[in-house]
Amino acid sequence: MIESLLISLQLALVTTVILLLIALPLAYVLAFKTFPGRTALEVIVALPLVLPPTVLGYFVLVMIAPDSIVGGAWQSIFDSSLAFSFSGMVVASVLYSLPFAVQPVQQALRAIPVNWLEMARTQGLNLKQTLLQVMLPAAKGGVLVAAALSFAHTMGEFGVVLMVGGSIPGETKVASIALFDMVEMQQTDQAWILALILLAVSFVMLSLVYMVNRHGPDMGVSQ
Amino acid sequence: MKSESNRIKITARMGALALQVDASFLNAFIIISGENGAGKTTLLRCLAGLEPAGGQLQLGGKMYLDSTAGFELSPQQRSLGCVWTDTALLPWLSIEKNIVLGAESMDTAWLAELAEMFEITPLMQRKPHMLSTGEAQRVALARAIYKRPSGLLLDEPFSAQAPAIRQRLRLRLKSMQEHLQIPVLMVSHDAEDAHVLAHQHWHIRQGKLLTSLPHHSRAGGNPDQQIKVMFHD
Repeated sequence: MIESLLISLQLALVTTVILLLIALPLAYVLAFKTFPGRTALEVIVALPLVLPPTVLGYFVLVMIAPDSIVGGAWQSIFDSSLAFSFSGMVVASVLYSLPFAVQPVQQALRAIPVNWLEMARTQGLNLKQTLLQVMLPAAKGGVLVAAALSFAHTMGEFGVVLMVGGSIPGETKVASIALFDMVEMQQTDQAWILALILLAVSFVMLSLVYMVNRHGPDMGVSQ
Repeated sequence: MKSESNRIKITARMGALALQVDASFLNAFIIISGENGAGKTTLLRCLAGLEPAGGQLQLGGKMYLDSTAGFELSPQQRSLGCVWTDTALLPWLSIEKNIVLGAESMDTAWLAELAEMFEITPLMQRKPHMLSTGEAQRVALARAIYKRPSGLLLDEPFSAQAPAIRQRLRLRLKSMQEHLQIPVLMVSHDAEDAHVLAHQHWHIRQGKLLTSLPHHSRAGGNPDQQIKVMFHD
């Protein structure tokens, strides 16, 4: 049980870090840029919200199979299979939680008052300064929400990690799958404990989200 | 003082408003007045580069826009100090950090001088939400001048100031303009602003610059000969 929990936590942590690195530039582009294919990109980002996890998992599995381009390249570089591995689960989890990371940041960036951005321009701030000193602090709440939701959503994965990871004990068997196995094997006491732990994690993460949304990140009153 | 180091010959369209301004002037203090919606703020926004405009624009001896040559500087490149009616102070930064925002190094002596000038010295470590509207406005003035701009665009910068401090600010802004020798374009409806500050008083009606008569001859030199104005009516 501990083993599967640790795998889940590790997966959620790695996935969240990678997601933030991807989501920040992606959210910036979606919030401020207009270009052909913008709507298509938004739809692709949002797809995991409605796609059955097994469908996403199946496509990821096909994509990272040893005879595929990505899977083959991975195999030749690291000399191990990407399918049915922890790394493979990370790839799937990043795709699966993408909307939960991108959308809060995108909304937070869009909510930045126009006159703050104009002030940054007339004060001569370059793009890097504007990003780091105006946009990121202003959207801090959205970034926190994105991190919390990505983490919680990855902890709660089932179908995708089952398809892509294959439930290998000690490697890819995460807590939610372990719970399923416990129930199947009628290990009721253990199942109860694990279920309560997963419930607590979700509760804490969502509490964080709602607290950030209510108070805003160190904003005070705008002048 | 270079002659005619400022040239504004621009046209812009903002909804129903057609802005058309043609004026040349020295590095002087210009008060702009006119009715609501006449285009005063739009003019300042065009000068700042925040709204698209056509024509030619040269401020403080520097070329910002020449649409016939396809040349235009971004707002970042224009090095103009701006104060808008919304002060846009960043709420998570102290007043001091707001003023030096974007500067590469902190010039503490200059910062202290500006704080003194705008009577915000005791506020420097506070956050914007602890300030009154008038105090926030004075911080915005200090921020606009801190980076030593080559021109100042001020949209009713004293609107929230009490009469006593307003008079002190006028005199300090005036000596600052004389010291820095930069063009200052300030929108104001206060007759006293025009009386004390204006080398030229512009009146804008329905997007057109109507008069640019010198308010009085304290500008130095003979302002009458330095002004060329197109009358569009």
